[in-house]
Amino acid sequence: MSETPKEQNSIPTSKVQRSAKFVKTGLKIGGNYVKHYSKKLFNPDMDKSELDQDNAADIYQSLSELKGSALKVAQMLSMDKNLLPQPYVDKFSQSQYNAPPLSGPLIVQTFRKYFGKTPDQIYDKFNPRSSNAASIGQVHQAELNGKTLAVKIQYPGVGDSISSDLKLVKPFAFRLLGMNEHELDVYMREVEERLLEETDYELEVRRSIEFSTACSILNNVVFPVYYPELSSKRIITMDWLEGKHLREFLATNPSQELRNQIGQALWDFYNFQQHELRAVHADPHPGNFMITPEGKLGVIDFGCIKEMPDDFYTPFFSLTSTDLLDNKEETIKAFRLLDMIHTNDTPAQVEFYYNAYKEMISLFAMPYINNTFDFGQTHFFDSLYRFGEKLSKMPEFKQARGVKHFIYVNRTNFGLYNILHELKAEVRTDTYKPHVVLAY
Amino acid sequence: MATIESIQNAYIDHVLTEGTQPKSVYIFAKNIETTEEEFYRYFGSFAGVEQSIWADFARKTLAEIETQEVWAQYTSREKALSFFYAFFELLKGRRSFAVYSLNSHGRTLGTPVVLEQLKTVFENFADSILKQGLESGELSDRKFFAKRYKDGLWMQFGFVLNFWIKDNSAGFEKTDEAIEKGINVTFDLFERTPIDNLIDYGKFLYNNSGFKEKAGF
Repeated sequence: MSETPKEQNSIPTSKVQRSAKFVKTGLKIGGNYVKHYSKKLFNPDMDKSELDQDNAADIYQSLSELKGSALKVAQMLSMDKNLLPQPYVDKFSQSQYNAPPLSGPLIVQTFRKYFGKTPDQIYDKFNPRSSNAASIGQVHQAELNGKTLAVKIQYPGVGDSISSDLKLVKPFAFRLLGMNEHELDVYMREVEERLLEETDYELEVRRSIEFSTACSILNNVVFPVYYPELSSKRIITMDWLEGKHLREFLATNPSQELRNQIGQALWDFYNFQQHELRAVHADPHPGNFMITPEGKLGVIDFGCIKEMPDDFYTPFFSLTSTDLLDNKEETIKAFRLLDMIHTNDTPAQVEFYYNAYKEMISLFAMPYINNTFDFGQTHFFDSLYRFGEKLSKMPEFKQARGVKHFIYVNRTNFGLYNILHELKAEVRTDTYKPHVVLAY
Repeated sequence: MATIESIQNAYIDHVLTEGTQPKSVYIFAKNIETTEEEFYRYFGSFAGVEQSIWADFARKTLAEIETQEVWAQYTSREKALSFFYAFFELLKGRRSFAVYSLNSHGRTLGTPVVLEQLKTVFENFADSILKQGLESGELSDRKFFAKRYKDGLWMQFGFVLNFWIKDNSAGFEKTDEAIEKGINVTFDLFERTPIDNLIDYGKFLYNNSGFKEKAGF
């Protein structure tokens, strides 16, 4: 057991920072298993309940430690306290994703299993050292017919561990949030569904091709070419995009003009998908974008797609129009459709939630009100933060409200806002506008 | 004329169709149209046949991985991983026999009889890669323990084998996971660890901090 810190050394530094807490939990849980099996050696009749308790306690502890800052962001992102805080899910799933890098022989084994050939036989050149870690696997550079390729390989067994982790974390999440298990279930299932989709590389290739074709009309957005014949359940082959990640790009002190160009590309990319395709790349993590030397936005990961059904899209995005939001009666109707106001709420409750949600939606809809919006201004983000903080202190938000679609749609849009804020970009927000109806 | 291989194949066929060993060498030899004498020229008993089949799995695995281009560049950790992956990939084609053979000989402490020959092949292989690792400094040369490293690998092999027998995941993906994690942990223990540094530091302090004098040495 004293050897465990060893593993920590092998995890890439940037990821350590991202989820140090959870790596620690992972180690502890690993330790719990070792403890369990060594005890079991001497007492074969021992059951697993002690092990589960040990694990659960460690997970709970690390979640509690995150309570402070992470929860604040979580509240903001999840609109109200009742939705499962995204960072919990994110970080928790990352704890498993932070598995040590795949060994060379495992890569060879994975290729032989799915293609019957070793990587050297498939590509002209294949770099056995990974160039960076993808969310649930790692990326290798390869060459074929003079083209540089990115080959993404998935760690075996990721899907299983996602499901079991979520099961494990569930009782603690609802205890922590003061929610009832049944209410939480809806959100948990939504998260599990998305996470499991991410492990299906065949699906990802299909969607990547679909989305990159549909989005090819956008200015300054580029996509790698995908090669389905060189992809499988655990492997994706695509073109290698040259470029810088957002942080590196910002470190070069780009001009305002260039920042606006990238920001505009991001805005168009997301709003085109939301309002025209009704399905959106729901993972606006800075690591999923590259800024090419030509000043274009490269999108490299379509693992997480959120589809928006009409019965969510129409009431929600119609609220972004001031014409509707000023009409109290219709607004309350929309809130009811979105399950933000329940049928058995008292008139006083209706009034309360109407005011709270109206404030929230008007904050969210600010960028849509005029034709341009400056995401560089801190004022807007301060009010968002303050509002999130205020909500978290209200006991009225200690119960499930809002349909499950909010989890990913909020994560997408607030994630987008955050990236645009980092870019300090001023963008035209009237390029792809929400389709609204004014009455129901 | 019977050969080692034809006897092995006939034997596998028999146990898999009948679910048990042949009643006697005499009947078995008669069924495959050869003589008892011929059988005993190659094998001492049915257990001997099974042992040789298992040992051949390991030999075939080695022959295959050692011809791979990357083999020479692999560290000893990677060589061990490569052996495990290739071995279980090969065993997939003979899974029924493997399950039969291990289950029919019951669980005992230590190495099952049928794996004895394979153990020799495995240990020779383990010895050679561990030696390479010790020479290159990849592994930590600890007094007394370094000689036991190969036992650690053999235990790991036994563990993965049992795991694979019980594994019912698609494509035996769980076994891949067990190999990746298990071998890595084993090699992490063989490598220089904080404990080595701690002992080293302790030695240094003992020799240089005047501790010896004070202790009256």
